[in-house]
Order: sequence, then C-alpha cells, then structure tokens
Amino acid sequence: MAVFGSSEELERVMVALWGRIAADPQMSEQLIRSKLVVQFRYRDPEGILTVDCSNGQGITVIWGSGPNKPIVEMSMKADVAHDFWCGRVSVPVAILTGKIASKGPTPKALALLPVIRPAFALYPDVLREVGSKATVSG
Amino acid sequence: MEPFSFHAPTKITFGDDTAGSACDVIKEFGGKKTLIISDANLIKAGLLTPVLDGFAAGEVPEPVIFDQVPPDSDVHCVNNVAALARESGCDSLVAIGGGSVMDTAKVANICLTYGGDMLEYQGLNNLPSKLRPLVAIPTTAGTGSEVSLVAMIKDAAEGRKLLFGSVFLAPDAAILDPGLIRSLPPRLTAATGLDALTHAIEAHAALGSPSPFVEALALEAMRLIFKHLPRATSNGDDLEARSATLIASTMAGVAFTNAGVGIVHALAHATGARFGTHHGMTNAVFLPHGMEFNLDAAMNRYASAARFLGIITGGEDRAAAQELVGAVRSLTSRCKLPATLRELGVPPSEDSELEELAVVASTDPAIMFNPKESSLEDIIDIYKRAY
Repeated sequence: MAVFGSSEELERVMVALWGRIAADPQMSEQLIRSKLVVQFRYRDPEGILTVDCSNGQGITVIWGSGPNKPIVEMSMKADVAHDFWCGRVSVPVAILTGKIASKGPTPKALALLPVIRPAFALYPDVLREVGSKATVSG
Repeated sequence: MEPFSFHAPTKITFGDDTAGSACDVIKEFGGKKTLIISDANLIKAGLLTPVLDGFAAGEVPEPVIFDQVPPDSDVHCVNNVAALARESGCDSLVAIGGGSVMDTAKVANICLTYGGDMLEYQGLNNLPSKLRPLVAIPTTAGTGSEVSLVAMIKDAAEGRKLLFGSVFLAPDAAILDPGLIRSLPPRLTAATGLDALTHAIEAHAALGSPSPFVEALALEAMRLIFKHLPRATSNGDDLEARSATLIASTMAGVAFTNAGVGIVHALAHATGARFGTHHGMTNAVFLPHGMEFNLDAAMNRYASAARFLGIITGGEDRAAAQELVGAVRSLTSRCKLPATLRELGVPPSEDSELEELAVVASTDPAIMFNPKESSLEDIIDIYKRAY
C-alpha cells in the first residue's frame, strides 16, 4: 500500500516541506546560489513538484510545472521520496538500481544533498502539521 | 548484509573464431534482418569477414553495413545509423568495434525501437521497454560496453556528452573473440587494459550497489589484468593473454555497471573532453592519484584487493591499500604508459582553467558513486598531482 493516500496528500506534504526549506537561510542559501530548477515527478500517487532557484534571489516552490524549464528532472514513486526524507535512501544507489530516473546534470543536484539533510529532522513535524497519515517509521 | 540488486542480462559467448556465430546469436534473439555497425578501419583490417561469412551461411537476408562510426561518436552518427536501419527494414543490430561503435549501436537502437528524438530518453532509467536485438562484438579489451547498461554520445552542437543508462540498454549478447584483438597495437592494448583495471578498482570501492557478485567480478578482473596485461601488451599474438584481458574487461564491465565508477573516471572524462586525451591512458594517469584520494574511505576495499591479488599477505589495511596503489603504478610503468598528464601531452593550465575543468568533473555522473565526497579544491589537487 502506498504511503500517501492521494495526490492532494502528497502535495500538502511536499509543498510544506519545501516551504520550510525555502524559509531556512541555512539550507536555502546554497540552493539559491546553485540557480538550479529541479523537478520531481512522482507516481503512486501522481504529482509534480518544481523547485525553482533560477533567479538567484529566492526559492519558488510550485506544485506542477513552472515557467522555467527544469535543468534536472528526477522521477520516482512517491514512496521512494518518503523513504528519502526519512533518511533511508541513498540517491546514487536508487539511481543505479532503477528506483529513481533522472535527466540532466544529476550530480549538480546531488551535490546539494548535504545542504538539505537538516530537513530530514523537520519531516516528521511536517507530516503531522499537514495531517498526513504517513509516519517516518512506516 | 545490506540489500542489493544485480543485473547481468547479457549472454556472453567466448572463444577463438566465435565472431562467425553472430548470425546464429541474433536469430536466437528474434532478429531477422540485421544492420552491422562498425568503422572503416576494422573493415579494412578484415575483422568483419568472419561475421559476414556467418551471415552468408545463415540463410537470412543479407545484412546491411554501416561503416562510418568515428572514434568519438556523436548524435549525428547515431541518427544516421538509425535512419539506415529504418530505411533498410532492419530489425536487429550487430556492433563490431570499440566503445564508440558499441555505444553508437546502443543509442541507435533506442531511436530504432521507439522512434522520436533520442533526447527524450537521455539520462538514467528513462527507457520504457526492451529494445530490438543487439549483439556486441568488442575489438578492444577495455570499455566493457558489450555488457554495460550505459552509453555516452557526444552532442557536438551543444558541446556536451549525453549519457544514456537503463537496464534495457545492455546488449542481448556479447561475443568475445580474442582473435579480433590480436592486431591491437601495444600502446592501445595497454591503455584499454588500464581502462578495464580502472573499472574494476573503482567498482570494487564504489557506492552504487556493492554485492558479493560485484566483488567477485571486480577482483577476478583485477587478477587477470595484473597477470596478463604485460604479456598481451608485449606480444599481441599471445592468445592466452589476449583472452584473459578480454574476459577481464567484460567482467569489469558487469562490475561497474552494477556498482558505478568514481572520481578517476570523472576526471578522465573532463580531461578528455578538454584536451582530447585517450580515455584509457587518461584513466591510467589518474588512477593512482584517485586511489590515494579515496584511501581512507576505501581502505578496506583496496586492502582486500591487495590480499586477493597476492600483493601482500596480512599486515595493516593502510599498508595493504598503499601496496595496491604501488602495484597500479608499477603495472602502468611495465606497460610503458604515460605516468603524468604532461607526458600525455596535456598543456599547462591557468588556475581559472583548472577550476572550469574541476566544475565539469564535479558534475560528471561517474562522481556520484565515488566512496568519498570531493570539493572543487580536492579535484584540482588530484589534477595537479597527476600533472
């Protein structure tokens, strides 16, 4: 059974989590400096999240596609995304074993993984705040 | 033990004079009319003759031949191959050549199977289904492309390398015929052998998906290369040594396609793109320096390899790992390959140029699997040591 019961639940979780990341100067500073546009394409349930840092001023989090073409695209089951935020997924391994599909200069995005690692600790709170039934132990 | 997955979907046939079986193998996988992809020099050298003889005796439509694959193949060439296959009604491919020929065939197979623009499928894990039958026959012992799940193609117009990776990209079959590499010159024999050794050593330490399968293949590939590469280099007619290095290259190909490579490949790709250096020779130069950089993170992996190879028995892991690095340097020297980038003909670079090169290396997919994280300063430092 999928971790997220609906696309709406997935949207609430991911938008809230990235909103917290965008609001945290410790995490957002380096993301903004990267000027990357990264798009996450989820399935089971479906959803698209675009994180746009292209203007070098701030982070725009969009549920769906934004005006700017993504530089890196990563596609995965929503369950894999959940496991990632629970700290249980190595992205390079997930790519090599086919759990994540990627387009574009993936290492550019991977280089930012240590930057967003503090968000792992925020994830349980975000799940609770948005009323998700998902838990980090599941 | 950590969970892992392991892919080795390619049927492997080995033996002297086995290239002639390509027709039978392609039929086994459902091919009816075949496009043979190669380069003009190999045809001139007569390497296609046994393959064509096999098709002539195989009671199948006469194969179509594309013989214009350049050494560093590109999007234009791939599109030409795919167009010829479609126009000729071919439903299957045989690639006979080095890495460039095999990668061209793999990406052309994407275009032939799905149609449309190859860019839709660029990246990792973006192929939706199985491709048309493809048999790969390597004429060098180094790239491992005959069994790997990846292919790289130059996009000259955009000045970039396109990476394609998928479990569906591996050829259905690889035919390892040591007679086909007999005429490979000593320097190329050594360089491609060091490419294979780099695959084995980097895969053995990589983060991708380590498993006992990867370990077994990587270690045995290293053993075969250390034992046989000097002989294959000094005497091309030594078929036993040629066979061993060919098998080792394929084993290392399966290992790295499952576990990944690392910083040595990332640097070799960036340096090769900038200065046009030979991939195998560039790997040979960077390999000991990359290993020294990774030494702390990969110490037990290097130490286990050194003990398996009999380079050292017992001792501390650090000493054993350092012995492996020394053995790599010694092998490069015995094979008379350049030990520095300067010897390789790379001109001196300004600091700003080095930073640009480091940025390219830091965004190379190979670096994702390196056992140790690296900064731009680390990459520049390795480059300077190798210079």
